[in-house]
Amino acid sequence: MINRRKLLSLVGMSPAILAGSRAEAQSDKPIATHRARQPLAVRELKISALNPKGNPPPIQLIPMAPRLSTLDGKTVYLISDGFPGADQFLNEISIWFKKNMPSVTTVYRLKAGALPDDDPKLWAEVKEKGNAVIMAIGH
Amino acid sequence: MTLEKMGIPTAPMVTIAFKDLALSNSAQRGMPHERICFTPHPVWGKSLDEMYAYLDGNDPVSGKPLMKEVVGALTNPLTAEEMQSGTTTPSTGPETYEDTADNLQKYYMDNGMTDFMPIVLPTEDCVAAMLKGTSHAPDEMVGKMCPAKGSYPEWSYNVKQVAINAVMAGAEPEYFPTILAIAASQLPAMSSSTNSFATAVVINGPIRDKLNMNYGIGAMGPFAQPNATIGRAWTLLSKNLGTCGQAGMTYLGTLGNNLNYNNLVIAENEKESPYPPFHVEKGFKPDESVVSVFVGLDIRQGQGGAGLGIKPVPHYHEAFAFNFATMASLFGGMVVCDPLVAKGLVELGYDTKPMLYDWLQKNSTISVKDAKSSLFAARFAQGPYANYPDDAQVPLFRGVDQITMVVVGGETNPYHMVANMSYRGSVSIDKWS
Repeated sequence: MINRRKLLSLVGMSPAILAGSRAEAQSDKPIATHRARQPLAVRELKISALNPKGNPPPIQLIPMAPRLSTLDGKTVYLISDGFPGADQFLNEISIWFKKNMPSVTTVYRLKAGALPDDDPKLWAEVKEKGNAVIMAIGH
Repeated sequence: MTLEKMGIPTAPMVTIAFKDLALSNSAQRGMPHERICFTPHPVWGKSLDEMYAYLDGNDPVSGKPLMKEVVGALTNPLTAEEMQSGTTTPSTGPETYEDTADNLQKYYMDNGMTDFMPIVLPTEDCVAAMLKGTSHAPDEMVGKMCPAKGSYPEWSYNVKQVAINAVMAGAEPEYFPTILAIAASQLPAMSSSTNSFATAVVINGPIRDKLNMNYGIGAMGPFAQPNATIGRAWTLLSKNLGTCGQAGMTYLGTLGNNLNYNNLVIAENEKESPYPPFHVEKGFKPDESVVSVFVGLDIRQGQGGAGLGIKPVPHYHEAFAFNFATMASLFGGMVVCDPLVAKGLVELGYDTKPMLYDWLQKNSTISVKDAKSSLFAARFAQGPYANYPDDAQVPLFRGVDQITMVVVGGETNPYHMVANMSYRGSVSIDKWS
């Protein structure tokens, strides 16, 4: 047999309406919150809680590569990380070099794999044939 | 950074929207003075003329001409700071915080340690009780996590640190081995991607009944404490143990994803499914309890799919393929179906899941023309179908392993959903009990 009192409470209605007490069932009186019911002393009680953070690894500072004295006559690899628009954007950079620094040779490459993936084959090619890299762009 | 280590001067270019991410990431990875050049945002979707105008304009961070910055990044002599080596260790704050309960709630929330809903404060007593849910030592290492593997340094965490987050989520000690198994999967509940990724965990084995998990009516809804809190614990531990979900720095999802509140928790309805449970597909024994984790973009209703009106047995497989067709090939296709659908598939002749996977992989297709104009066109151009004619239909998913299926629900109707998600691995819960 269905317990109608339980059913009503489950759907958010006061079982009081079963007893015909409309005033109680439709009361606008706000319900006291758990917090407000707590005695002041409890609310002011200090407690200790644990830090939920994990352990960051030590950071090894990496010295940057020595810079070129000039880009004149150098080969700059334009490497796309594969995000949409990066290929077109790098092509515009290639055009910019042709207009503004024509002695610079540019080579476009799409890095293999997803964003964080390494591409040792490409890195080896850059090391052998290039002098510098512009990498773009992440949207 | 790899190139710099190889001695190749590099100028990374990033749009201004990712400034905080780029700068904090460089610092965390050991090159705090990396010469990042910034463009206006966005680049994607701009015309070629607009892109060129970016190059002719200024770097929005330095205010200097952008291409002058780029050339300078490659040619200006290094400063002493840029040549610095050595080691530093970041601090994560004190081991404990002491204050009133109200103030602690606010402190945890204000410092990015919650999901912006009240938590159970992780007192030493609560955490000690949680630790009784496992036989493993509090200081045993569980795993490492970061918002995107390879792009961020990974933080490590031990059993006690997972317990602290499990308490915060409102979990009971008996749920703890399942939460530890999720933590051991090392898959973050929130990725840094701008895509607003979502994650799912499929739970199999006796643990489902032991914990009274809901795999019947409303299985994926907020109707059972273990389903709710195990999922919430995944989000909290990803934030606190894996540095995920810090908007602007480690979280860039432009729209966000409601599933990140407690993720998609699916206790499979093994009792009513005509197929072997998901974990058995992955080589586990039926009586083992296992979590299997997934990552992707979303889950959606499948009722609009073609074939569902065919009688007497709806062609569910056609509906799945229809639903899959609009998915991003970045992730796989996952069918989440009621047992009634699974039983219908058997009636249609799909006696095994691999038979269904094979059919779906071949028949969930996209035209070459659409693939070439999609977001993933550059990847498509590297694939085997790049030279097919534009009107050819080719598989959306590159292999059968991109298709998965789980059975869940209370058989109130033969409905299904599809998730654009990929399987990322399984971990034994029993090993963490």
